[in-house]
Amino acid sequence: MSGCCKHCGSNSIVHDDISANLFCSSCGVVSEFDGYDAQIGRLNGPEGTFVRVGTSGTGTHYSYKETKIYNAQNLIDDFVYKFALSPSKCSDIKTMIAQITENEFGQGDWFPILIGACAYVVMRKDNKSLPIAEVASVVGCDIYELGRMFVRVVDFLGLKGSAEEFPEFDIVVAFERAVRNCGKFSGLGRDVVERMRKQGVFLIQCAVQWFLTTGRKPLPVVAAVLVLVAELNEVDLRIEDVAREVHAAVSTCRSRYKELLEALVKVAQVLPWGKDVTVKNVVRNAPFVIQYMERKSMGKRGEKRKEVEEKGGGIDLGDAVSECLRKNVEHGTSGNCVENDSLYFEAEENRGFVRSGGESFDQMKISHECLSLMYTEFLNEMGHEKFMEGSGEVPQRKGMRGFEFIACRDWWEGKSELSKKLLLKQILEKDVGLDALPPSFVNGCKVYKRRKEKINAAKLRISRIKHPLGTDLGESGDIGLSECVNAGKKRKGKRVKDIDWEDFIIEALLLHEVKEEEIEKGHYNTLLDLHVFNGGIMPEVPMWKA
Amino acid sequence: MAEQGLEGSQPVDLKKHPSGIIPTLQNIVSTVNLECKLDLKSIALQARNAEYNPKRFAAVIMRIREPKTTALIFASGKMVCTGAKSEQQSKLAARKYARIIQKLGFPAKFKDFKIQNIVGSCDVKFPIRLEGLAYSHGAFSSYEPELFPGLIYRMKQPKIVLLIFVSGKIVLTGAKVRDETYTAFENIYPVLTEFRKNQQ
Repeated sequence: MSGCCKHCGSNSIVHDDISANLFCSSCGVVSEFDGYDAQIGRLNGPEGTFVRVGTSGTGTHYSYKETKIYNAQNLIDDFVYKFALSPSKCSDIKTMIAQITENEFGQGDWFPILIGACAYVVMRKDNKSLPIAEVASVVGCDIYELGRMFVRVVDFLGLKGSAEEFPEFDIVVAFERAVRNCGKFSGLGRDVVERMRKQGVFLIQCAVQWFLTTGRKPLPVVAAVLVLVAELNEVDLRIEDVAREVHAAVSTCRSRYKELLEALVKVAQVLPWGKDVTVKNVVRNAPFVIQYMERKSMGKRGEKRKEVEEKGGGIDLGDAVSECLRKNVEHGTSGNCVENDSLYFEAEENRGFVRSGGESFDQMKISHECLSLMYTEFLNEMGHEKFMEGSGEVPQRKGMRGFEFIACRDWWEGKSELSKKLLLKQILEKDVGLDALPPSFVNGCKVYKRRKEKINAAKLRISRIKHPLGTDLGESGDIGLSECVNAGKKRKGKRVKDIDWEDFIIEALLLHEVKEEEIEKGHYNTLLDLHVFNGGIMPEVPMWKA
Repeated sequence: MAEQGLEGSQPVDLKKHPSGIIPTLQNIVSTVNLECKLDLKSIALQARNAEYNPKRFAAVIMRIREPKTTALIFASGKMVCTGAKSEQQSKLAARKYARIIQKLGFPAKFKDFKIQNIVGSCDVKFPIRLEGLAYSHGAFSSYEPELFPGLIYRMKQPKIVLLIFVSGKIVLTGAKVRDETYTAFENIYPVLTEFRKNQQ
């Protein structure tokens, strides 16, 4: 503000508040504007507090990046804490994210998803599967969103291809994790939990063998097995609670539970009273069934037969056992008709169970007392259940309370290798008394069969119309009707005795000379488009017709 | 005689399809250039079988019933035709759409017709142990049961993606010509039999 006037040289320069110019109060000359502010950061810059508004200008980019990385690291720490991972894992995750983002880390909605995906990958790499549903719920995003990010991470890091470096999601590990984290189990003794864990691992690996896990989300299977095991050990555990805890849908858990029970029922068919075992009472029989499975799994698949062949005796162990059983019936010790032979009882003696290797046939006598005792128990249970009536509902299991599992502590030995974690190949080598096919495949076969029946019925209908006087066809009026009853949800509850849309389509396709095998596949729309509504396109004339 | 006519059987060429299974084509996607700028609004207003919601998607969606297909028509004059079950059908449908556009007063041509994708499916009729397949073909396959029930197999030659399900059902996609689909299936079939679950 100070200085002298360039015109008159006097020291009387004054600041005009209105125009912000400087002028000389003696001569009145307005001096040239020199009111530039000194630039910030220079040596002769203004002193005092530096207040900045906005982020543009020198220096800000650096601080922005620093802040971003700082916040990102904090976020990672936060998530790692929520996932309950170790500090070493945390540093692994940070390294991975730094590698992926080229040390930029990041902010925004996508970043937590990347953290989740990296946490999942790090855990998978270490063969400690962290369920993706759990990660998704912690991150607060959709499981598929997380899945997409996971696939990108795996692709970027080139983890595909080596099973050692990047193993598959391990359902057994997931089960063990669920057992550890289950709140209900915290009050139980360590040995009880350990027993349940072993039984669960055994059942899970059986489920793997029975195709109950292939192509299915693993967590509902984990929940189903957990509920079953808890039930066997008299721990009160509701399927809804478990489902919530493992982040699985309740209905899926229920259907897996049902499938598991159905598989056990199939195994139970070898028991002498197998025919009476149903999904409703299989849980009570589960100790026997599992015990049988355990024994069975201790011998190798096919080994037995080989040994017998080697001996040249040609006596199958199963035959020997069933012979004994028949003897049992003849003597009338149990007083009940035993039709199914049971490998379960092979080598049962003094509850010491000789291995099914078959060293000595003398040792393979069946304890008649034991058999009759078990069956009597079963009959009692049956009576008890009938009396209770309506207890069979899976999730509620009202009738289960107050029922005591016979020798609950004794039936489980846990000596089978299947109660330890095995490789898939080893699991498949084991024989647990049931060779199941995947449910989706079984359903597919049923659908094929139904379509085949429909096609045959349609063919008959067509030929009846084409040859109304044909004598060989007119045995009944039923031929025109689709015989198949279990047709599908739409017609549930209806007596299927009429022709539906599907029959008409099949007829149309047959009349257009579509191959039966093609119709069986059930791609009706495609076939209609190709053969029926194929307007404007000349059909290819088959060679044999030309 | 009638029975024979009903059969309509035509033996599978085992040289071309050693597996005896021919994948069924389920969808063909093709593109064509009509080579003229289009006023989508006027198309949407004039054509009864068209829908246009510029807020949602910047193309007119048009459908015809025979061949049953759907087309996406863009203002640039490019068109995508989906839903046909064979290559000829796809071309015929694209021609029909071009004709419709012409009738609406645009000088539409029919240039660079190209099949972009062919989707096929089939059933091998045996269950497949997906875990085993994923393990031994790890470089090509991705099996994440937590995310998707099928195994995604990315074949290199021909460049086809296969979705393989435990039930034995297979989906093949990414082919430009149908022979690629067939070759891919014949390539994968022996691998699948390796991991088949034997039925009792």
